[in-house]
Amino acid sequence: MPRVEIPPPYRGPTRGEDRVEVEGRTVLECLRAVDARYPGFLPQVLDAEGRVHRFVRLFVNGEEIERSALHASVAAGDRVEVLAAIAGG
Amino acid sequence: MARTDGPSGDRLIRVDMTRQTANAEPFPDEWKLLGGRALSARILLEECDPTCDPLGPDNVLVMAPGVLSGTAAPTSGRISIGGKSPLTKGIKEANAGGEPGQDLMRLGYRAIVVKGKPADPEKLYGLEVDSKGARVVPADRYKGVWNYRLSEELAGSHPEGSSFISIGPAGEMQLAGASVACTDEKGRPARHAARGGLGAVMGSKGLKYVAVDKERRPLRQPARRKEFFARVKGYSKEFREGPKANVFRFGTSAVVPIANMLQTFPYRNRTAGQSPDVATLDGKRIVETFEERGGGMHNCMTGCIVQCSNVVHDAEGNYKTSALEFETLTLLGSNCGIASWEDVADLDRLCDEVGLDTIETGAAIAVYMDSGAMEFGDAEGAKRILREIAEGTELGRAIGNGAVSIGRKRKHHRVPALKGQALPAWDPRPLKATGITYCTSPMGADHTAGLIVNPGLPKEEWVRASQEAQLVNAVCDSSGFCQFLQPTLDDIRAFYGELYGEEVSRRQIADIGWRCLEDEWEFNRRAGFTEADDDMPECLKQDPIGPAKLVWDVPADLVRQAYRRVESRDELFAIKATG
Repeated sequence: MPRVEIPPPYRGPTRGEDRVEVEGRTVLECLRAVDARYPGFLPQVLDAEGRVHRFVRLFVNGEEIERSALHASVAAGDRVEVLAAIAGG
Repeated sequence: MARTDGPSGDRLIRVDMTRQTANAEPFPDEWKLLGGRALSARILLEECDPTCDPLGPDNVLVMAPGVLSGTAAPTSGRISIGGKSPLTKGIKEANAGGEPGQDLMRLGYRAIVVKGKPADPEKLYGLEVDSKGARVVPADRYKGVWNYRLSEELAGSHPEGSSFISIGPAGEMQLAGASVACTDEKGRPARHAARGGLGAVMGSKGLKYVAVDKERRPLRQPARRKEFFARVKGYSKEFREGPKANVFRFGTSAVVPIANMLQTFPYRNRTAGQSPDVATLDGKRIVETFEERGGGMHNCMTGCIVQCSNVVHDAEGNYKTSALEFETLTLLGSNCGIASWEDVADLDRLCDEVGLDTIETGAAIAVYMDSGAMEFGDAEGAKRILREIAEGTELGRAIGNGAVSIGRKRKHHRVPALKGQALPAWDPRPLKATGITYCTSPMGADHTAGLIVNPGLPKEEWVRASQEAQLVNAVCDSSGFCQFLQPTLDDIRAFYGELYGEEVSRRQIADIGWRCLEDEWEFNRRAGFTEADDDMPECLKQDPIGPAKLVWDVPADLVRQAYRRVESRDELFAIKATG
């Protein structure tokens, strides 16, 4: 199964879980699967129109994907990583 | 060339403001791994009476660049300003970017230590620093001068490329919210060692400015030159081009929408964690103006590879302000109910001119608004207040002295401050581990002391997370590295090792961080701090935020566990500094 890696700022809905194995054939399916298990996760990644938030970056197996590539395929064992830049000066 | 004494050749400048003298002496070799915050803490613990009047002659003002400042290490020019804070009445270190840190180190000066105060409280002085040493000079003509005009005039009368550390009228008036300004790469006084009122300490010593003429000195050379430069190149390449390259390329102002989403974008004196004005305070709005108005992202210091600092122009394309950050957009924006980032930019410029901490000032204005004296959202009223601070009116002084001061004057019940210092934007109600940092950090409520943005962190991990973040950030703030470079302890010790040609172990680097915290806790203990001072303000225990109705509810005995050092684990050395 693919694995979704959750950045620290987004682990509220996942109750601290930093990685979640899910069923999914695309990046979007994987993100939705996390949200199904941990409601509240998906709105942190996608806006109301279903687009990736400007401040979020997505990676598959360490390679960044375009924001529009939510339908990129993933296979068993792949890592989908969500990155959200947080700092506060 | 002036002779440099001491085994390493580095020197320490001692300034006596009672006699208006300055001398350079050898820098102790046993302190070579200390810089910035750790060096300031050590000097203060050894040389400053913790029970002294923060605005009296016995307080000690320290200006200390980091260990790596002045070298080719990327983004390593941060400077620490330290002393006993008139705001918290405890030890304080405030950290700033800009050029003075690099310039002092290129001259071989590891710190400036200022003691005493002039007998005549009306007299003002400057400190001139170059390769020959340092001299105290009269500066009465700069009395009341705001920071931007001061920097321009100093630039006009000093060698090209000189950098400056200065105070504005707030520091001259010794207001507890006063900042210390440092000039950036373009000579603008836009980088502030802001928290804790150290500008007031500088003002109490009659010191209006420090001018540093680096005289085109070369970079400091490491002992293992080839390895050091290879590390610089590799580290910088990874930062710029790696898979997660430069997440801060649009600066911290871009964090606004995430913070709002996480219920940590305080609104109207922290009565809510989200703001209806998030769209108009979002840093994206600032970035959108760059094409039409000019401005853009820039380095605040030579050698910076992060470029997270914004330069903001007005609608006519003229420079307005720089370093308009998330904290400022929050405390002077959302927290005051002020909806427009353009108004916050005006307020930011005014704070930089008058020499004020934007966090403390924003919190104070919000308390004033919340007390009913002014409407939330009154941006013009807020600007008027900042001008009143510069004029020294009764209201101006009350607000310039911070949130607790105006709260007391207005007899207001909701004053979100801890150890006398206003809380920053990152709210402890959803971020419990960060709250533990605020309670236990010697700095008081200071997000740069150890920020953990992990709302889902299990309770049993809060204490460790806070302690580790505090330790890592203490080392980062001693190294000269900017927290936005996000170096780890392993990164820092590797650079130190090549700088000095000797291995710095994991144990050593962790001990530097822990000892810094211990020095600071000990100072505060001697200053009279007790466990009671670690208590979060009542308003945060009682005012819930967000759908989950979050309050601060971490038991005191859990908080206090952060003082007991946990065994270092491998993960500690991979934790990135973050502030």
